[in-house]
This record gives sequence, C-alpha cells and structure tokens, in this order.
Amino acid sequence: MNVGTAHSEVNPNTRVMSSRGMWLSYLLGIGLLHIILLSIPFVSVPMVWTLTNLIHNMCMYLLLHTVKGTPFETPDQGKARLLTHWEQMDYGVQFTASRKFLTITPIILYILTSFYTKYDRVHFVINTVSLLTVLIPKLPQLHGVRLFGINKY
Amino acid sequence: SFGLDKQPKTLYLSDLQVHHGSCNGGLYSRPFIESFEETPMLVAVLTYMGYGILTIFGYLRDFLRARKIEKCHIAREREEQKDFVPLYQDFENFYTRNLYMRIRDNWNRPICSVPADKVDLVERVSYDYNWTFSHTGRVVKDVINMGSYNYLGFSENKGSCADAVAEVTLKYGAGVGSTRQEMGNLDGHEELEKLVARFLGVESAMAFGMGFATNSMNIPALAGKGCLILSDELNHASLVLGARLSGSTIRVFKHNNMQSLEKLLRDAIVHGQPRTHRPWKKILILVEGIYSMEGSIIRLPEVIALKKKYKAYLYLDEAHSIGALGGRGRGVVDYFGLDPTDVDIMMGTFTKSFGAAGGYIGGKKELIDYLRSHSHSAVYATSMSPPVVEQIITSMKCIMGEDGTTIGKKRIQQLAENTVYFRRRLREMGFIIYGNNDSPVVPLMVYMPAKIGAFGREMLKRNIGVVVVGFPATPIIESRARFCVSAAHTKEMLDQALSAISEVGDLLQLKYSRHRILPTLDRPFDETTYEECED
Repeated sequence: MNVGTAHSEVNPNTRVMSSRGMWLSYLLGIGLLHIILLSIPFVSVPMVWTLTNLIHNMCMYLLLHTVKGTPFETPDQGKARLLTHWEQMDYGVQFTASRKFLTITPIILYILTSFYTKYDRVHFVINTVSLLTVLIPKLPQLHGVRLFGINKY
Repeated sequence: SFGLDKQPKTLYLSDLQVHHGSCNGGLYSRPFIESFEETPMLVAVLTYMGYGILTIFGYLRDFLRARKIEKCHIAREREEQKDFVPLYQDFENFYTRNLYMRIRDNWNRPICSVPADKVDLVERVSYDYNWTFSHTGRVVKDVINMGSYNYLGFSENKGSCADAVAEVTLKYGAGVGSTRQEMGNLDGHEELEKLVARFLGVESAMAFGMGFATNSMNIPALAGKGCLILSDELNHASLVLGARLSGSTIRVFKHNNMQSLEKLLRDAIVHGQPRTHRPWKKILILVEGIYSMEGSIIRLPEVIALKKKYKAYLYLDEAHSIGALGGRGRGVVDYFGLDPTDVDIMMGTFTKSFGAAGGYIGGKKELIDYLRSHSHSAVYATSMSPPVVEQIITSMKCIMGEDGTTIGKKRIQQLAENTVYFRRRLREMGFIIYGNNDSPVVPLMVYMPAKIGAFGREMLKRNIGVVVVGFPATPIIESRARFCVSAAHTKEMLDQALSAISEVGDLLQLKYSRHRILPTLDRPFDETTYEECED
C-alpha cells in the first residue's frame, strides 16, 4: 500500500481534515475528553473546563503545529517534510472550510470555558495564553515561519 | 450530427449518487449505471477512531523501541553515525512500521502455480507479528483466485496458447537481447503489431515490453513544455509519471466528471498558458477505460464529444478494459459502439485480458511512425520476448475468432454474465460496491483499518484469495477489497466465493449498504453543450 496506487493525490494528508465525518469525530473527541474529565470526582466544574481547554489546545498544537511531514513516503520526494500538518492542509491554500472550522472551534471552546469559570482572573489568564498558542500559528502570515529556529528541521 | 437535446436526462439520486444513463442527448446507446454510495457517517467516525488508536499505539511502541524496552526489528542507522545528519526521516516510516506491518501477511503472498481461476499459495507463518515470515513447507492448494487480472481466463498452462508458446520458445528462445531499433525486431513483433491494429480498428499499432513503461515512456514523446495535460483524478501511477516526465502543465479534473473537464478545457483555451497567455501547443486528455480501484467506466461518448468541440487530443488507457468490455471484446470503444478513429491514441496492456505482458499504442500511421523513432521505450528498452509475443498473438486470434473456434466469443459472454451475476448478488447481500454495473472489477468497501486485515485473512481461511487495499493508497475512509471477476470462474466457484464473502461480511459486519431509493429528482446540471459538430 503506497501513496499513489489508487489516485493521483500527491499528499493524502492535505485532504484528511476535509474528509467526511472528520469534523464530527473531532467534536465528539472533545466531548469525550470533557466527559472523562467531568467524571473525576474531586475536580470542580471551572477546573474541568479549564483543563479541557488546556488539553485540547495542547493536543492541537502538538498534532497540527509541531509534528512535521507525513507518516508515509509521498511521491513528490518529500516536499512536505518540513511542513506541519496545518501548513500541509489543502496544499497551503488559506481560508478553506477546514481551516476556518479548526480556527473557530478553539475560540468557541474558549468562550464556553470563560463562561463556566465565571471569568475568574487566574483561569482567564491561563486560558487566554493557551488560546493564543493555538491561534497565532494559524495566521496566514505565519505560514512556514519558525520562530527562533524552533522546530525548523 | 448529434441530437441537440439540451436537457440532460440524468436522474440524480442525491444521497446514493446513482446515475442512470441515457443522458446528454442520446450520446449513450445503452444505460450507464454506476453507483458510489457515500460512506455512512457512523462508519467514518469509527474509522477515524481506529486510525487514531493505531496512531497512539504507534507512538507508544516507537517510544518503547527508542528506550530499548522493546526489540526493534526495523533497519536503523549505525550507532557511530548518531551525531550525523540523519539519512532518513523516521516519521516517514511511521505508517509502515506501525500499521502496515501488523497486517502485512495479506500482501506479497508467494504463489506456486499458474494464477488461473484457482491458484496454489505457499503457506507462510510468522512468529514475530509479521516482521519475518517462514515457510512451513506446505502449499495451500486450490485457492479461488479473485485477485488476478485474468478477465478472459487466458492465464493458463494448457490449451492452444500454451502449446503455441512452447513451440515458439523452442524455436526462438526466451530472450531477445536487443532493443527494437537494433537487433530486436522479430517477425513476431511485426505480425503482432498488424494484428493489434486490426483488433482495435486503427491504422497502425506498436507494442512494448512493459505496460507501465508504455505509459511513462510514451507520454513524454507526445507532450512537452507548452502543452497541457488534463488528467483524471484517479489515473494510474504510470500515467501520472508519464505526465510528470513530459514537463507539460498538468491539470486534474474530478473523476469521470464531464462538467469539471469541460470547465478546465474552456479555462485553458480562454486563458492560454499561465503567464504569457499564449495558446497551448496541444491539449491532451488522459483517461482510462476502466479505473481499477473504483470499478468505474469512463464516460467515453461525452469525452469524445468534448474533445471534438474543443479540439483536444484524447489518450485512452485501456489497461483493464481491453478484452473485458464490449460485445466483441474490443474494449470500451466497442462497449459504447463508438468509432475507434475518434480516439487519437489508444493505449492498452496485454497483461490483463491476454495473459501475457507488455503494452501497445494504437493510432494513426504518422503517430505510430513518430513513436517508433522518438519513444524512449523503442530506442532503449528491450523488446518483447518471443513466447510473450506468441501468447498475445494466439490469445488475440482466439478472441477475434480467427483460430476457428468459438472459445473467444464464449469467454467474452461468460465474463459479462459472471460480472452481472457477481455484482447483483453482492448488492443484494447488502455490501457497498463501487463502480459501473458492467465492470469486471468489483471494489467492496471495507472502511476500517482492522477490517482490512481481518477480511484478507478470513477469506484466505475459506480458501479465497482477495486483494485488499487501504490508506494511503485510497482516501482515508475508503479502504476496500477488490475482486476481479474472470471468465474462467464457473458459477459454482462464484457461488462458493459469494457464500464465503457473505459469511465474512456477517462476521465482520461489512454489510453497510442502506439501499435507500429516494424519489428521483430531475436536477438541472450546468449544461454541457455538445453541439457544433461540424461534419
């Protein structure tokens, strides 16, 4: 099973986020995480929401903005080897539907979290910093940009 | 002249995407029924979950291997080179290490008999989870072969073809030892090319030793810089490679979608080349007759109408359709009842229906004469070996009926019957089958990564050999098992295979089809205008 056996799509990673059912699975995943955290008996509701927000943003940062390349060899001799998954999505075309969805979901999660933590100051600071780590890499101006040489190769 | 019916009579069932034919003004002489049922949402979510769990475990195992807690079977760089810049990116092998290795026993199975309707497999066993295999010494006999491209059943070691081949091997030997342009042009090659030209109904043809190389070596000779290649989304790797090697601009249109192709043609002609806006030197449309992973048949009447209107060239790759479609076995052109001279370049392979190896290109005499001197394959590649040439000549004569028997005609009919029967039974059982009703390639959707491996293994337990394929060769939620119906299969074999498939389908819960027939709605397409055919 190699890339390019059944289709001429050079990098299948570009289409994964817009496949059928991916958005639903993503939302269900967030829901599952939230329910698991809610089942821990000694954690309060604001804490659970902050934890959900933090863990979601951390996983999103790791999977979309840290891991580079493809888990399989592509026939284009590795053009995407230094690109994160976010940069590979839709071959770098900005403002596609999946990109908008993945930008809006952390924002909505942040709004819900702010509500459920009753706008407490400490929670606010933590959640905002976490949201920024996930929103800033998604800006089109930061496409392919590596700050301070982190994660360059 | 064409019928100028502006309202296409396509009935478009939105959910199931079933296209019922006789659309577009009577271009089709027979109903064109194909279906590509969408993945059920629950199945898609579970598939992503499956891949997610496999990825998490993959990372865990990689971590254990890095910390030397688990033994690492895969080749790595030497300890002394630890500080060097790495040669390979180990993430690129992630999929192979952690997903493919788990179910690797479904591929590369060694066979030890001729791959006819039944085949013998060498029994393999693995004691370290598919990292290494050892042969037990036993042979699994008489496995029903649903994986070989043996559409007309010419893959056999007895019969008139085999006798003729044996004779020719004794006379000419097995090898040629030269290219076509030097000492490798045998009288068998000349006879073969004339026969192929007669078979296809074209002026002239040329044969090459390898089917893949026919595409990848000849498209660069036909198109170059300043040309435009319009290639279908699901074209085979050989066509994609040939297009890339040629250096032309490549634009991809949606699979079998004539509106997408027409839009690309119009944009190309209106805007010309990207920056200079000069007209394109030529526009070449690359399509296949039958797409082997989808089982769909190209909408050839519409493509030819478009090509005539916009004055583009058509390259038709009939690798899977030659011999397998059409009342006389002449391929997809015969299937639709069209004129072979409408297709500028007819390419095909001898691997599938003729039981041999190699490819051919047929077309006008000037084109083939040009290819004889300009094709890489003709100049540098060794020509076809004599036994293979004889096999093709004998099998082609058999299909045409020129050997005096009706074996060819019977096989074509048997294949058509087998195809219709097999597809109908699978659909009735409730599986999701892709493709056209008349295509002998039957992809059965399996979707989930674990079911890919399970399906292959369970079918082998029931003595049926199938080909399964998954991500990244297919889109992530469209893993499938592909059956190739053959004229050599008798109805009993097909029934046996079908009952095994049904059993495995119940065991693995593969019967996803919802068979929801919605009331038909006449959905107006963006019109394709096929008039202006100046005769």
